[in-house]
Amino acid sequence: MLGYALRRLVSVSVTFFVVSIIIFLMMHSIPGGPFDAGEMPLTQEVRQRMMAQYGLDQPLYVQYLNYMWGAIRLDFGVPFQSPGETVAGLIGRAWIPSLVLGGLGVLVGTPLGMLLGMAAALRRNTWIDYLASAVATLGLTVPVFVTSMLLILLFSVWLNWLPSSGWGEPKRWILPIIAYATIPLATYARYTRAAMLDTLSKPFVTVLRAKGLSERRIVFQHVLRNSAIPLVTVFFPMFLGTATGSIFVEAIFRVPGLGSFFVSSIETRDYPLEMALMLILAILFALAYLLSDILYAWLNPRIRFGGGSE
Amino acid sequence: MTRLSPDHLVSVEGLHVSFSGIQGKVQAVRGVSLHLDDGESLGIVGESGSGKSVSCMAVLRLLRSPPAQISAKRLEVAGIEITRASKSDLSAIRGGVASMIFQDPMTAMDPCYTIGQQIVETIRTHRGTPRRRAREEALRLLKKVQIASPEAILDSFPHQLSGGMLQRAMIAMALSCRPRVLFADEPTTALDVTVQAQILQLIKEIQEEMGMGLVMITHDLGVIAETSDRVAVMYGGKIMETAPVERIFEAPSHPYTRALLDSVPGQGKGRGRLTEIPGSAPDPSSPPEGCPFHPRCPEADARCISSDPELVKVTEASAAACWRLS
Repeated sequence: MLGYALRRLVSVSVTFFVVSIIIFLMMHSIPGGPFDAGEMPLTQEVRQRMMAQYGLDQPLYVQYLNYMWGAIRLDFGVPFQSPGETVAGLIGRAWIPSLVLGGLGVLVGTPLGMLLGMAAALRRNTWIDYLASAVATLGLTVPVFVTSMLLILLFSVWLNWLPSSGWGEPKRWILPIIAYATIPLATYARYTRAAMLDTLSKPFVTVLRAKGLSERRIVFQHVLRNSAIPLVTVFFPMFLGTATGSIFVEAIFRVPGLGSFFVSSIETRDYPLEMALMLILAILFALAYLLSDILYAWLNPRIRFGGGSE
Repeated sequence: MTRLSPDHLVSVEGLHVSFSGIQGKVQAVRGVSLHLDDGESLGIVGESGSGKSVSCMAVLRLLRSPPAQISAKRLEVAGIEITRASKSDLSAIRGGVASMIFQDPMTAMDPCYTIGQQIVETIRTHRGTPRRRAREEALRLLKKVQIASPEAILDSFPHQLSGGMLQRAMIAMALSCRPRVLFADEPTTALDVTVQAQILQLIKEIQEEMGMGLVMITHDLGVIAETSDRVAVMYGGKIMETAPVERIFEAPSHPYTRALLDSVPGQGKGRGRLTEIPGSAPDPSSPPEGCPFHPRCPEADARCISSDPELVKVTEASAAACWRLS
């Protein structure tokens, strides 16, 4: 098990290295640059001085090595769009609202989705099942900015229960958390239903009934554990995807989160910020998949023991 | 079939099972009556789709309902009416009074738990034995089913064992609460031929040693010959013939039984020549009028096509459903 984890950790490092090169090259192959002519064109001389100041006049591999040397010490340089602080500082500051709202959204939505999916699977072809399917389909097809608008309309405009936007007091968190929770809720309702129905149709469930186990024990001790295996794989990547902030949710609820920087850093050719965001996401996703795989192996003895003799 | 008294271990009378599906109602079992006493061994033989497995699943109420619809004049195990049994009665019967082993041992165990954990779970469900003692009991059971290195097997996961070992473990689990009857649903079909004989031998030995009732469901007359005292031949959801095992092989009364014997190498009268039964088993969603076997029966006449024969006594211990006999 430990050997397996270490092997996977090495492959994650290789992945990270390759991804960093790809990102770096892609960033530099985008036409245009940060000091290109806009509303107030710079003179040739000033542009060159600026380029030199940020090291952009050096060969690409030197730029890459310089960059990576800094990056592994969390020094990603200074964001062009906000020269008063460091990239690391900006990301750290903006990430907190995204992590809190997105993270809580996932932590609320996932168990609710699982419960809904379980109820649907155990009460197949009843109104609970149809409700779960409707919720799952709506949650996955209605874009989150529509959900957000409807939430504001209902809870802020009509009922006047909750503030429509902002960040700060926890009361303002509720609507964005609900908006974020719809996606894991819908995803998990669907996955849980499918996984449970699949497990319930397995012959060993009939054997468990023939052994005289109660239906409750069969579901919680056996069916849930067998069904959890595919669910685990979805969790960490989904958590990360949500906890890095959605540009739509953050724009609608006016949350000063990370989401908007993904777009603004590309628009303004803010290489340091864009690189840092991509690198951090890449390593976090690699780690999320690693964690999924380890948990998967822990839950599934067939993987833990190297597949058996067959 | 024969007279039913309330003291049979298993009593089935007029059992009907149907499945409602998209294509309408499928009648899997159409009026089956059976009984079994302690220590007795009943073989149920038939082609796939004859209703033999479904009948036994119905006895332990293991069919999901819906889609299954079960009705019976009587469906009793150890004096408890199964169709009206409470959850706790049902739990006590399943695995306690009546155990079942299944066709494919590779898919019959939960892949996430060890063999030991699954046997211990069964013991503790029925007897509430402390975990440590239940584990010792599981080890003793694995020794009893003659499994090699039982200590290691106890901590193995299902995927680490071969089919034959798993079926032995399944038998150990089924026996863990000293059931009065064991339903064996094609227990050797998924196994290698060499292993099949060993498993049958083991089931037979244990049955005799424990004085347990045995219902052996199979399509293989060879298995019936080795394990059963009494045989019920099923076709199209009905019992065609029931008789002591010797009579089935030596003097079968029903044309279907004869046809079945003729299609087995080295069995029946036509030794050396193998014949097949022409045609195919009836479609359970639209069974033929009259005797279910008439479309394939060489002796069928107008009466067989128009009305369905009842089981009638042929000798004191045997009965058959065929117009030729009345």
